[in-house]
Amino acid sequence: MSLIETTGLVKRYGDKLAVDDVSFDVRAGEIFGFLGPNGAGKTTTIKIIVGLLRPSAGSVKVGGYDVQLQPLAAKAASGYVPDTPNLYAKLTGRELLRFVGDLYNLDRKTTVHRTEDLLHMFDLTNAADDTIDSYSHGMQQKTALAAALMHDPKVLVLDEPTVGLDPKSARLIKDILRQMADRGTAVFLSTHILEIAERMCDRIGIIDRGRLIAVGTIEELRSLGKSGQSSLEDIFLGLTGGAEEAEIAEILK
Amino acid sequence: MTASDPAGTAMWATVWKLLRLRLRININSFRHSRTRTKIFTTLGLLGLLSFAVVIFLLSWEMLRFLRSPQLSRYTTIDSAALLQAITPLVMTGLFFGILFTSFGVLLQALYLAGDMDFLLAAPVPMRAVFISKLTQAILPNLGLFALFGLPVLYGLGASEGYNFLYYPLVLVVISALTFAAAGAAALLVMAVVRIMRPRRAAEILGFIGATAGIICSQLGNLSQTLGHRAGNPPALLGGASFVALRLETPWLPLNWAGQSLMDLGAGQWLSGLLLLALTIGWTSGLFWLSLVFAERLYYAGWAGMQVVMRRSGKLAVGSRFRGAEGNLSWPERFLAAPIRAIMQKDFTLLRRDLRNLTQLISPLIIGAALTFSFLRRGAGAFTGGTELPSAFMQSFQPFLSFENAAIALFVGWLLLGRMAGMSFSREGRNFWVLKASPISPRQLLAAKFLGAYLPGICAGYLFLIATSLVHRPLPGQLLFMAVVIGASLAALNSILISFGVAGANFTWDDPRRMNAGGIGCLGQIVSLLFLPFSLLLFAGPVLMAVFLNLPPGYGYAAGLLLGVSGSLAGMLVPLLLVQSRVQRLDES
Repeated sequence: MSLIETTGLVKRYGDKLAVDDVSFDVRAGEIFGFLGPNGAGKTTTIKIIVGLLRPSAGSVKVGGYDVQLQPLAAKAASGYVPDTPNLYAKLTGRELLRFVGDLYNLDRKTTVHRTEDLLHMFDLTNAADDTIDSYSHGMQQKTALAAALMHDPKVLVLDEPTVGLDPKSARLIKDILRQMADRGTAVFLSTHILEIAERMCDRIGIIDRGRLIAVGTIEELRSLGKSGQSSLEDIFLGLTGGAEEAEIAEILK
Repeated sequence: MTASDPAGTAMWATVWKLLRLRLRININSFRHSRTRTKIFTTLGLLGLLSFAVVIFLLSWEMLRFLRSPQLSRYTTIDSAALLQAITPLVMTGLFFGILFTSFGVLLQALYLAGDMDFLLAAPVPMRAVFISKLTQAILPNLGLFALFGLPVLYGLGASEGYNFLYYPLVLVVISALTFAAAGAAALLVMAVVRIMRPRRAAEILGFIGATAGIICSQLGNLSQTLGHRAGNPPALLGGASFVALRLETPWLPLNWAGQSLMDLGAGQWLSGLLLLALTIGWTSGLFWLSLVFAERLYYAGWAGMQVVMRRSGKLAVGSRFRGAEGNLSWPERFLAAPIRAIMQKDFTLLRRDLRNLTQLISPLIIGAALTFSFLRRGAGAFTGGTELPSAFMQSFQPFLSFENAAIALFVGWLLLGRMAGMSFSREGRNFWVLKASPISPRQLLAAKFLGAYLPGICAGYLFLIATSLVHRPLPGQLLFMAVVIGASLAALNSILISFGVAGANFTWDDPRRMNAGGIGCLGQIVSLLFLPFSLLLFAGPVLMAVFLNLPPGYGYAAGLLLGVSGSLAGMLVPLLLVQSRVQRLDES
């Protein structure tokens, strides 16, 4: 069962085509990695999926609901962690989670219990009554993830979730995502860390200059690349193009 | 920089390089700004220069007037002593002015600009970085001071007939004092940052600055209300003279600067040179010591220690933000959870974020000043001092309450201008939290409407109650006015929110730039135009009833019908118009 379904997604900013005819789906219980060079259109695609941006053409369904036609139902089904966790700096971590619980219409008891559970799980209990502006980047990232998990979403969308996290927190997030997927959640994440994508993701999509140039499992992607390209890094660079060794040597000379 | 360079040369070369970089950034900002901004900046600079010339001429004339024999006939002021006190007074003002203004600039430059790590990691002398930062902090303030202070000092020199040496030495002494003040400010910044986070310090500073500015601007109005010295120049001069003479003591090092200039200008070379040497000595010493200490404290991480201390001060807010379990309070029964949550969040942030409170302080102080002057005028304000028959004046009694309502509405409008007009923009970069949540535009508008309306109506009603204590209207009139204020403010609130939606800006970093576009300003104008219109709808029928000799009840009933209908339309139409826009906010 597909929990994210994009069809012919297009996003134009004036003359610039940020996303060009992107179609894919993410099934329940699946972790889908979304890779691409800087400026390829990853964040734009993610923002369209979670309803932060309106596509110029095409459609997105989240949890079976069209994001444009049934935005409230689609948003209620999804949780989102942005690449930069801009959170209300003068709220405490606990207040933010309770606020999010109310936004998603959780009942009072559930909100309170879920808040405490998540604070404990992310090792934020000691800092729960400090305002967020005193948190480190990693703590803010964990708070954003806790907020996204408050309503136990069917679809989890994460933009660079492990940036700025220490190894322990990064491992925790990876474990959480795996468990969420095992429980039937569709996890969609963008990352630049190819090792994470290779080890965690069931399927991977590669976007370059707005176009989805490859989708599939690691094995399927290997078959697309040149012979001898066994690692995801080689496949990725082979598909998107990277600086050649001679060029690097010339610059560093 | 090469190894063969002497350390001093390398340092000054680096200072120059860093200052040139700052200049380049400023030139680039100007070059890439809009044509409108360029024109305004150029005109502003020309205006300031013209202003400086006017101040020079005015101070010249003023100082000549102070020396005129006619003045002594009317006042008991010792004008010679006052003239003697002017230069030290200006120098003292300069020192403290630069100290306080540099504090804010240095706080920004050292801790908030984010370029210190980059600069200190580069192979440049640390002292060069600090000197360039201090110079950058000083220059704008020095420029501002030069605009007001230099014309006064030069005007004094011209009116006293000081010799040529006075004029360049004024610049030397001002520079020395400025660097000393900036050095002290750098140390002060480090001491403050030791006990609180830099961003919090900047917030508090902004709040104090805004409050002081508004209070100063309102003091003039209040002193006129109180009938004090504002309209009494001799008393004013006497007060200034008293302050100036108190400050003029030879034991204050700050006075040496001014005294040295006056002595040198008047040709008293020995005392002048001695005082000048003392001034240069203490200012250079203070600057150098501050520089060395600031560098060491910064490098040693002394000022950053507060990060460790912060943990002890937790906010006991969990229970206040929302009770864990228990019965629902009355707003919880009537309002959907997301609406309540957004309102609660907004009130919490408003209270906790001083930058928001700074935005609200001006309407609150202006409102308080208005209330005070209105109350001071007393119950006889409307009818007092008139020779007209009392029966005629009695017929105007209903309108007295409209005067109360008009001012209460004005106070409410001032507050709503900030609360409602910026309710969406205030979300800033956090708006994604709301946008990604399953909240309908209607719920979001309702939350923002109530979040602005409740404080606005509280301010309006407080004013109404305060004025009613003086004017003692009939209970029916008071109730009528309460409806006028409640309904009109609701419409004003909607208008302001709607314009706020149309001009919403979520990309600000400095809250003063929340309403950067002209739409917010347009909202203020439209709502201000709606205010008399709304009042007319309520008051018109009452007025007609008086002139047509109808029972007043008819007038009030018709006024209520017309006014409430007009206000309801004013409340609903703007919100309906922007409802679809709310859904598309922050998508550009």
